[in-house]
Amino acid sequence: MSGTENKLKWVIQSKSSYFDFNFNELFSYYNLLFRLVRKEFLINYQQTLLGPLWILFQPILTTFTYVFIFNKVIGVGVGSKMPPVLFYFSGIVLWNFFSESFLATSKVFHNNFHLFSKVYFPRLIVPLALTITQFFRFLIQLVLLILILAYFILFKDFNITFTWYMLMLPFVVFTTGMISLSIGLFFSIITAKYRDLTNFVDISLRLLMFGTPIIYPLSLVKENIRWIVELNPLSSLFELFRLGLLGEGTVSPYQLLYSLVFMILSFFMAIILFNKQGAKLIDVL
Amino acid sequence: MAENVLEVNNVSKLYRLGEIGSGSLRQDINYWWKTSILKKDDPYFLTEDTPHLSNQKLWALNNVSFEVKQGDAFGIIGSNGSGKSTLLKILSKIVKPTTGSIKGIGKISSILEVGTGFYTDLTGRENIFISGYTFGMNKREILRKFDEIVEFSGIEKFLDTPVKRYSSGMYVRLAFAVIAHLEPDILIVDEVLAVGDADFQKRCFAKMKEVSQQEGRTVLLVSHYTQAVLNLCNKALWLNQGVVKDMGECAGVVGKYIASSQQFKLKQCWSPENAPGNDFIRFKEVALIPQFVNEDHSLNIRTPLTVKFKFWNLTDDSYISIGLQFFSYTGECIFDNQSFSKHFDKGLIEGECVIPGNFLNDGSYYISLLVAGDNSIPLFYLEECISFDLEDYRPEMKWCGKWMGAVRPHFPFRIEQTTFNLELYHK
Repeated sequence: MSGTENKLKWVIQSKSSYFDFNFNELFSYYNLLFRLVRKEFLINYQQTLLGPLWILFQPILTTFTYVFIFNKVIGVGVGSKMPPVLFYFSGIVLWNFFSESFLATSKVFHNNFHLFSKVYFPRLIVPLALTITQFFRFLIQLVLLILILAYFILFKDFNITFTWYMLMLPFVVFTTGMISLSIGLFFSIITAKYRDLTNFVDISLRLLMFGTPIIYPLSLVKENIRWIVELNPLSSLFELFRLGLLGEGTVSPYQLLYSLVFMILSFFMAIILFNKQGAKLIDVL
Repeated sequence: MAENVLEVNNVSKLYRLGEIGSGSLRQDINYWWKTSILKKDDPYFLTEDTPHLSNQKLWALNNVSFEVKQGDAFGIIGSNGSGKSTLLKILSKIVKPTTGSIKGIGKISSILEVGTGFYTDLTGRENIFISGYTFGMNKREILRKFDEIVEFSGIEKFLDTPVKRYSSGMYVRLAFAVIAHLEPDILIVDEVLAVGDADFQKRCFAKMKEVSQQEGRTVLLVSHYTQAVLNLCNKALWLNQGVVKDMGECAGVVGKYIASSQQFKLKQCWSPENAPGNDFIRFKEVALIPQFVNEDHSLNIRTPLTVKFKFWNLTDDSYISIGLQFFSYTGECIFDNQSFSKHFDKGLIEGECVIPGNFLNDGSYYISLLVAGDNSIPLFYLEECISFDLEDYRPEMKWCGKWMGAVRPHFPFRIEQTTFNLELYHK
């Protein structure tokens, strides 16, 4: 007995420490990760009329609606000389990335309970796959955004000059994705336990959209209530996204630091919670 | 001596019936407020028709310990609710034990269902990959096995068709093909054999046997289909209400399990209103009467058994013969003892047949009675009217493995020495 005891490699126990995150195991499933991403694309655009073109139609239609309603009808300004189409489109594209991957992630347990109760693999693979899927959709939409931008530069006398902020764009996208993944993981646990909270998720996501500078620039918010918008860690990211891409935005280094710290903290907390509660949830669901 | 590849030490799993939440935050907060802060009784389980569930605990598993050695085919049997599935889920890392630990070596794959990781909208080809990866195969393994999987499932033509267009048989075949080509060190299989047609089941079975016996992998099979366990496993564990009831050599454990799960019927009587039968025959009574030769009154292989039966014959001037059929619990007929044909008129008919001791092997049996008319035309067949167990009895025997054979007669031998040298042998 004592001879073999040393050779037995893995142990299943009741308690899992908060920090025994097994990165090697997660990595060994990277093939599954990419297959799941592929699956999302294949399933979503099979038996559809326009197929993957929907990825582009959705933000285009939304942009036209926003331009019409907010800019033309209500008259929300977008900044000094920025074309409203570019302003709204850029905001919508980034917001889509955030909200879609957040929504998908927050329903991971609910939607995959059957799979999770039948086979073990690192659960984190599924939310990661969902976020990466949304990232690819975002990239496709970004290409369209750049094409529109090129059109405005070539034919409409819209100028952008190279700034260092442009190099910050990957950081913006990464941080936005990580925040949506982290909050999504957090809510995936909560909504699996309490189903009525899915309503809360939907509503608060809609409210959060108005608390994020998507349909208005931060510079238009009155000084005395600006802190409400600045409390939102996404605000500085959206402003930086426009600043890098279109040359207009209001960003302070403290704001960025706040978003970064928020991202790191929420990510670690979410991973720990997800790891710890993941196995327990199968009993409850 | 093979080495342990899996050690399960005192594993328990507790489910708190009252705590498995109401599913809504408002109710849970309300519940917590009333029970923890106001110290009131549980408000949700106080109605009269529901018992007080809040403190009710259910030990799905209670101090389960066992070891599995390299190359073992290990069967886990038990009735529904015995904790088999819970144990399986713990071994598969899907849920965690409440206490205890499991140590193991090597890659472990568990198959709780056929078709896990399949997406109906995807093609067969996509599904082979995604399901394989879900079970932890790597790319090289899948590529190497791909053709074999396709061949095993027989779906070459439909490889690029979404599996939702497959017939259910094709779907199951493909799903099983993926699982069958996993190459873990320890394979855990739930009752997946219960799907598909007979031919398919046979193939699954052959594959499982190949995995466990030729390739020498360790297999854990969880089932209440005891024949599968008997055919495939060399060791077995019997779980009953979360506790290990018996463990050891397969046939013995399975036999005990079956005996306990069977309701012994040694005697059945009927009144004319509910008597089984038809327009010709109505049974009144069947009974198995053992002539105990030993004092502890247990039915064992030495015990002579008398089968007595009474039935009403409803037709005059008929010739009737009786067939007494003994079956083992697996449904194999051990023997079919036919009586002569005899003339009877209306009325009650009684009969008996004595099965001598030292004839049947130990095990569980049931009896069916066939009443046949003229020219051996069956008049009525009374199926499984008696069931019983025969215990083993070997007073002067050191060897205690399972005795082979369906019957265990005690025919006399004549053995004697005829020469006292080896001259003929050396020539």
